[in-house]
Formats: sequence, C-alpha cells, structure tokens
Amino acid sequence: MTSTTTKNRRVDLLIFGLSVFLVFCLIFESFLRLPILIAWLGRWHPLILHFPIVLLLIAAFLGLTGKNVPRALLTVATVTALVTAISGFFLGKEAVEKGNLLFWHQWLGAGTALVAVVWYWLDGEGFGNTVYTKALQVLLVVLVGFTGHFGGMITHGENFLALPTEKSMDGPIPDNPLIYQHVVARILKNNCVSCHNPNKQKGELLMTDLDGLLKGGESGSTLVPGNPEKSEIIKRLYLPLADEEHMPPEGEKPLSTSEIQILERWVALGASDTVRLNHLGANEPLASLVKEMMEPDPMEKWAKLPKVADSTIQRLSSDYLTIGRIAGSTDALHINMYKPPTYDPRLILDLKAISKNIVQMDLSGLPIGEQEMELVGSCENLEWLEVDRTPINDTQIEGLKNLSNLHTLKVYGTDIGDPSAAVFKNLTKLKSLYLWDTNISQSALDNLRNAAPALLIDNGIDAAIQPFFVDRDSIPISGNQDRAIE
Amino acid sequence: MEEDKTNKESPLKVNRRHFFSQLSVGIGSLALGSLLIPDLFKKEQDVLTGRALGIPHFAPKAKRVIYLFQAGAPSQLETFDHKPTLRKRMGEDLPESIRNGQRLTGMTSGQDKFPLMPPAVKFNQHGKSGAWVSDFFPHIAKIADEICIVRSMHTEAINHDPAITFFQTGSQQGGRPSMGSWMSYGLGSENKNLPSFVVLTSRGKGNSQGLYSKLWSSGFLDSKHQGVLLRAGKNPVLYLNDPEGISRSDKRHLLDNVSSLNKLHHVETGDDEIESRIAQYEMAYRMQMSVPDVMDISKEPESIIKLYGEDCQVPGTYAANALQARRLAENGVRFIQLYHQGWDQHGNLPNEMAGQAKDVDQASAALILDLKQRGMLEDTLVIWGGEFGRTNYCQGKFDPENYGRDHHPRAFSIWMAGGGIKPGITYGQTDEFGYNVVENPVHINDFHATLLHTMGLQHEQLTYKYQGRRFRLTDVAGNVVKDLLA
Repeated sequence: MTSTTTKNRRVDLLIFGLSVFLVFCLIFESFLRLPILIAWLGRWHPLILHFPIVLLLIAAFLGLTGKNVPRALLTVATVTALVTAISGFFLGKEAVEKGNLLFWHQWLGAGTALVAVVWYWLDGEGFGNTVYTKALQVLLVVLVGFTGHFGGMITHGENFLALPTEKSMDGPIPDNPLIYQHVVARILKNNCVSCHNPNKQKGELLMTDLDGLLKGGESGSTLVPGNPEKSEIIKRLYLPLADEEHMPPEGEKPLSTSEIQILERWVALGASDTVRLNHLGANEPLASLVKEMMEPDPMEKWAKLPKVADSTIQRLSSDYLTIGRIAGSTDALHINMYKPPTYDPRLILDLKAISKNIVQMDLSGLPIGEQEMELVGSCENLEWLEVDRTPINDTQIEGLKNLSNLHTLKVYGTDIGDPSAAVFKNLTKLKSLYLWDTNISQSALDNLRNAAPALLIDNGIDAAIQPFFVDRDSIPISGNQDRAIE
Repeated sequence: MEEDKTNKESPLKVNRRHFFSQLSVGIGSLALGSLLIPDLFKKEQDVLTGRALGIPHFAPKAKRVIYLFQAGAPSQLETFDHKPTLRKRMGEDLPESIRNGQRLTGMTSGQDKFPLMPPAVKFNQHGKSGAWVSDFFPHIAKIADEICIVRSMHTEAINHDPAITFFQTGSQQGGRPSMGSWMSYGLGSENKNLPSFVVLTSRGKGNSQGLYSKLWSSGFLDSKHQGVLLRAGKNPVLYLNDPEGISRSDKRHLLDNVSSLNKLHHVETGDDEIESRIAQYEMAYRMQMSVPDVMDISKEPESIIKLYGEDCQVPGTYAANALQARRLAENGVRFIQLYHQGWDQHGNLPNEMAGQAKDVDQASAALILDLKQRGMLEDTLVIWGGEFGRTNYCQGKFDPENYGRDHHPRAFSIWMAGGGIKPGITYGQTDEFGYNVVENPVHINDFHATLLHTMGLQHEQLTYKYQGRRFRLTDVAGNVVKDLLA
C-alpha cells in the first residue's frame, strides 16, 4: 500500500514537473536556445502524438458515457499529452518564423495537455464524476480534434482534408497569362508549397511568393535569375529520383518533364514576375510549353457532347463514308468521306442526326454543294474541317462563321476569294489554315495575317524552297529504264 | 440458449445458422471492398472486345504513317551523324575502349585492323535548327526544320534479315505481325475501299538485300491486316482485274453467290477466317474501282511532278512511290510502307551512296513539303531510316576514295516528321567516333512504343492473345520517348 502511494506520488510529481516545464517553455520561448540533442527530441513529436490522441479520447469517452475511467489510463494519457506538447514545442522551434497554423497548433496542443492535467488532478481529488470533469472531457475532445487538425494541415498541406474535386480547383489559365503568377506559381503551389509555406518552412525556404524564392533557403541560392544551372531549385529537380536531395522528396509525386522545363526556362529568362505569354518570342520553348499547359485535355472537353450509340454510327456509315469515335468511348466523331462511283448528297445530309458530335470532318475532293455546306455549318463542335478541292464558294464559307471551335481548316484548291478571308478572321480558335490555290488576294491575306498573328497560314510550299526543287534538273545520274518495271 | 452456449465454448463448433450469418457479414465486407475496384464486373479489357478495336485509346496526333524504309542500312556517318573526329584520326585503329569487345559480323571480325574512316562527303548545318545533314542530301537539308533527326537509335540484330524483321515486327524471328498490321488491327481502316496497310518497293543501284512478304505479314492477326504489295505498272494488285468478257454486274452476282455459300460454311465450321475472306472479296471488288483511281497520277499538276522529280513519272521508282504514298495517305490508307533497296555498302560506299541518295533525296523532301501544304503533316507521321547503322572503320583495304562499312547495330540515325513529332530537333548523341550512343538512346522497342503513341495507342494495351499468351508489338519492353513528342 505504501509503495503504491509512493509511486502515485512520484507520478503526480512527474506530471506537475512536466506541466511547469511546458508552461515555462511557452512563456520564455523567445529566450530559449535548444541544444542539438534536445532539439532532436522534437523529431519524436510525430511519433508520440498518436498516444495522447487515442488515450485521451478513450478516457473522455469512458467518462462521458458514465463508466469508470481507470486511473492508470488517465495517468498515461496525461503524461503522454505533456510529453507530446513539449516535444512539439521543441520541433516548433525549428521553424524560422511561425505561421498561423503553427501558432494555433502550439497553443491548442499545450492547452490540451494542461486541461488533461487539470482533469487528472480533479480525478485524483475525488471529483472524477462531477459535472466539472464532464465539462473538461467535452473540452478535451474538442481540443484534441482541433489540435490534430491544425497539425495535420501543417504536415500535409492546408487542403489535405478538402473535399476531392473532379478537376483541379485552379480553373483554366487565362488567355495571355503572366508567366510567374499564372503558370510558375501554379506549378509550385501544386508541388512544393505544401512543405515550403509560412507554417512549415522546410529547409527555411518559402515558396509562396517570389521574394521567398529569391531569398532562398538554408542551401542558399534557390533561384539565380538567368542561371538555372546555379539555381538550387532546378538542380534538385534534375537529380535522380533516389537522390536524397531530389525534390519533391521520396514518396511525393515528381514534377513532369514539361513542368520542370517551364521552371527552367522561366529561371533562364530572368525569373521575372511581369512577363506575359505574348512577350515571349515565337521560338521561345517556354511559349510552347505554356501553351501546352493551357490546352485542356480533349477527352475532357468532349465529355459534354451528346451521347451517340454505336448502332447510329453503324447505320450512317457506308462503304464510302467512315464514321468513328476519335478515341476510346468518347462521343466525339470523325467523318471521312471518299468519292463514291455515284455521289449522293444524302449520305452527308443524313449526318444531321449526329451533327453535334462531329468534331473532325474530311470532305476533300467531293462535289459538295450548298446543302452539304449548310450541314457542315451546323456542326457546332467541329474542330477540324477539310473541304479542299471542292466546288465551294464564298457564300457557303460564310455559313461556317459560327464554327467557333474550328482549329484546322483546309480550303486549298477552291474558288473562294476575299469575302472568305473575312470569315476566317473571325474564327478565333483557328490555328492552321490551308488556302493556297484560291482566289484570295495578297492584300486580303496580309490583312488576315495582321489580324490573326498566331494563325498559321499555309499558302503553298515556301517560295524560298520551291525553286530548289522545281527548277532543278532532277533526272537522276543514270537512266532508270532498267529498273522501271519489275 | 443451449446452442449459444456451445457456440461460446468452442469457436470451432459452428452451427448452420451462425455459419450463414457470419458468412453474410464476410461476403458483405468483400462486396464493400469490391466496390473500390471500378472495372471488376466489366468485361475483360476493352481492347480484346470487338468494340474498342479500331478506335484509338486516346486522342491521336497521327492518323497514318508513311514509312520510307531504306533497306540495307544507310550509313549514319554519311547521312546525319557528323563526326569530325573520324577525319582527325583517320586511319587510326578504332580504340579498344570504344569497341569494348562488342561483336562484329563475320565479314570484318577477321580484320586485324579497324582503321577509322571519315565520310567521303561534307556535312553542313541547315535550317534554323542547325541540323547537320551531309551533302548527299541537298533537298532533305532544305527541310531540316520540318524533321526530327534521331541519332541515337540502336538495335539488337547485326545482320539484315533479323534486323529488318525486328524493325518491322518487333521480333528478330519471323512470324509476328508487322507494325503496319498492328496499326490496322488497332485502328481499323479509314477507307473501306482500300487496304489499310500498303507496301511499295523500289530498288536503287547499290548493293541490295532481299525483301520478302514476311515483313508485311499479319502473323497471327486476322489476314485482313496483311500488307498489300502494290506493284508498279499496269496491274498494281495481281489478279484484281476481272478476266476479259466478265462485266462488273456478272462479278457482283458471282460474289453474292460465293458469299452466301461461304456464309453457310461459316455457320458449319465457325471459322472466323471465312468471314474475313468474304470481306476481302468485297474489298477487292471495290478496289477494282478505287486502286486504279488512286494509282493514276496523270491528274497531278506539273508543279507536283517537278517537286518530286521527273522520276516520279516512271512507275517503280522511289519518287513514283513517294508520290503514290501521298495519294494513298490522302485516300485513308493507315500505313504506307515504302522500301528502297540498295543501301548495303560493304564496298564502294562513296559512289553507291551518292546514287542511292540521289534516288531518295528529292522525293523524300518533296513528300514532306507536299504533305505540309495539304495540312497532312499535322496528322501523318513520316519516318525515314534503315535497319541499323554502319561501322566507323572501313571494311577491307583502307582507301578514303573507295571504302566500305560493315553492319553496326550500336548506333544509327533516322528521321521523322509530322504526326505529333517535334519538328526541327536533333535528338540523342553518339560518342565522338559515332560508335556508341552516349545520350538519349532509343531502342527499337522504344521507337515502336512512340510510334503507337502518336497514333493514339498504348503499346502495352494493344495486345492479341495467341498460343496462350498475349503478344504486343513491343513484346515486354519499350518506353514512349516523350522528348520526341510535340
């Protein structure tokens, strides 16, 4: 009996001592300099913290349901809560500057431990089943919950528990984005910021803004504008995955090649935060990388198209008209028509039923007329249209003005003229246009080029190259009669 | 009550009621877990069912391939791999540290010296990309910014037959489907009136190696995926034309009757090859119309004839085949395989290669320009290359005016253009002797994986079950070379 009391007394003392120590630490935080070994104890925080969470919750649960809370359970719970709070305090000292999350986590954690101590003391004094302890138990549950939540956000990132969403919450990159703000910062946010933010400044590096990057972390020159080879951020991305220094560290998703290239080129170009996409030269690889990132996955885009049954596709197909899904089970269709022995416009007009699903259409070389072009004009989701070498005219091209998704258009070898060029100008998504061998005048062409500088206009084989092929005597060195026909 | 008691006493004594109630909990838990496996009750892998076949796995960049195969293996050292060191150290023995005991063919393994041989042709940089192209190819040099040169190809085979078979089928031994057949199997036909896989051959004056139909065989795939050899001259497809005196309607009756007999037979035996035979008869019937139409180049304008070179009017030449390839591609043929024989320069290399280059240079470049102006380079992949490379030392007597080079599988160069491949880049590097790949190696399996990728196919999922296991073009290897993709 005596020994038990002595033991109890020692435990009481331990708890008292730890509580005092914790309070002392909290009050004199700014004066403390931890010896290396003590600081190392802080690293045990993530391991130990699981004990008080579970034990305190069990104890509180027993207490709240009117059951007897074993003294031993409460003791262990209180002691581990204190040890956890203290080790957490040590770990927190590693942070250069405490962010909001860390601030709240620290005070709530200390609060949890101290409330547990109060409960332990009340329980020891025989107030175990009073309304006061019940209130403390409720408070404890709340405190454990919030402390754990803040701690989790520090470790895993603030959005770790956010509800999963189908798409990235970032939304699309705006047209002509700022390279830093809309592209680089997004890459950093998705890959780096969860460990390099004001709350969890791993390696003393802050990656939430450009100043933090320029200031660098403990390894020094994180970002050397104009010099990716010397920038720690780029060097580490290129290290082998198994390398200790590789970032993101083992277990985290590494950056994609194009993401790394974007960061590298951005650094090489001076790591500016004012450069926009249109400031970059056409041949600058960063421009195409950014454009690629802005491009939405076509399959996602096509997911909104109306459903079309395989049987419909089969019914409308014929020997000379191929209809197919562009990929997988998407409802985006491609149409390829080849010249049948006897042409019947109805083959094309029947496609009305699936006009919204047609994304690519090849009617090259067919004797199509007004009706067919009217159907083409109603295929609002059309992205790729080939009507080259057909008898179409300007009026029919006018009917294409609503095809706002069109990005590739082939109209070479037709009789269209300047009025068509005006229609092309208003097709904003148009990326490539093939219009050689038409009646479009040079001035209309120049006009179009000025109005849509990003549009690739193919007006036939490059005049600088063509003579080299066409004017040369291209009869080979020796006659070829002897190998003509096998 | 009684039952319950026994139950508690021995866990092994389970009565029927308890057995079922526990079982239901167990099954319920399993069912709950199985909800997490999305495709558990779906049919086995879509690619094996009829529906997904003929549809790309994801949105493709290329819809068709034109493969300009240079049979016999052109030397990389006289085409695209510029090695000034060979001139500096001309005549010196190949350092053992470079060869490193790698195997040689029986044709040079007996040589007691391996004198380094510089190319007999000058190299210059071309285009904005500054790609090195030898003076043997003045026209290809003009399109340097359209093509992607890969200098780091390597293969496993050291002799022509296994090497070309490996390139065409992914295996050094014959019997596997050719890559054209895999494409036809995976993507189906764009135009039902033409075969989806077509082969055209031509022969230069250089030392030739044989070509054989196993290179375009469909192997264990349905025989409708087999490559169809189009011959030069009046009868591009043998036995396609009707005999004298048979009208087209007679032919129709004949086919209808044969087809109904065949269908009866199919019901009896269930042999799927009968169905594909019926389909082939039908296609042949339509090909009677479509093939002469496609092969007729008389309507090609003068400018196009000049572009490809006057040679293209002589059936059976490489130039004629290149022009034909464009026409076939326009008409929806998936895979157009050209072979140009005569690149096996064991001796007399400077002369023979000049002749071979003259055969293919203008037409290859013209094909790219022609496809480009038609907007077809956006969705047609063109590949130019042989089955392996050639040694940097000379075969036989050392004579810089008239030397030969032996087979060299360790490193060689090819180029690609269009169809989702980055234009204007040179990829991969060999050592200063042009012997070993030192940067970004591309194995044949990687090449195949990349090729399938541009066509919207995942090389790991395009499989065919035969003899108890699933086969792939890339067998059990291959990585998509992402750096090559635009």
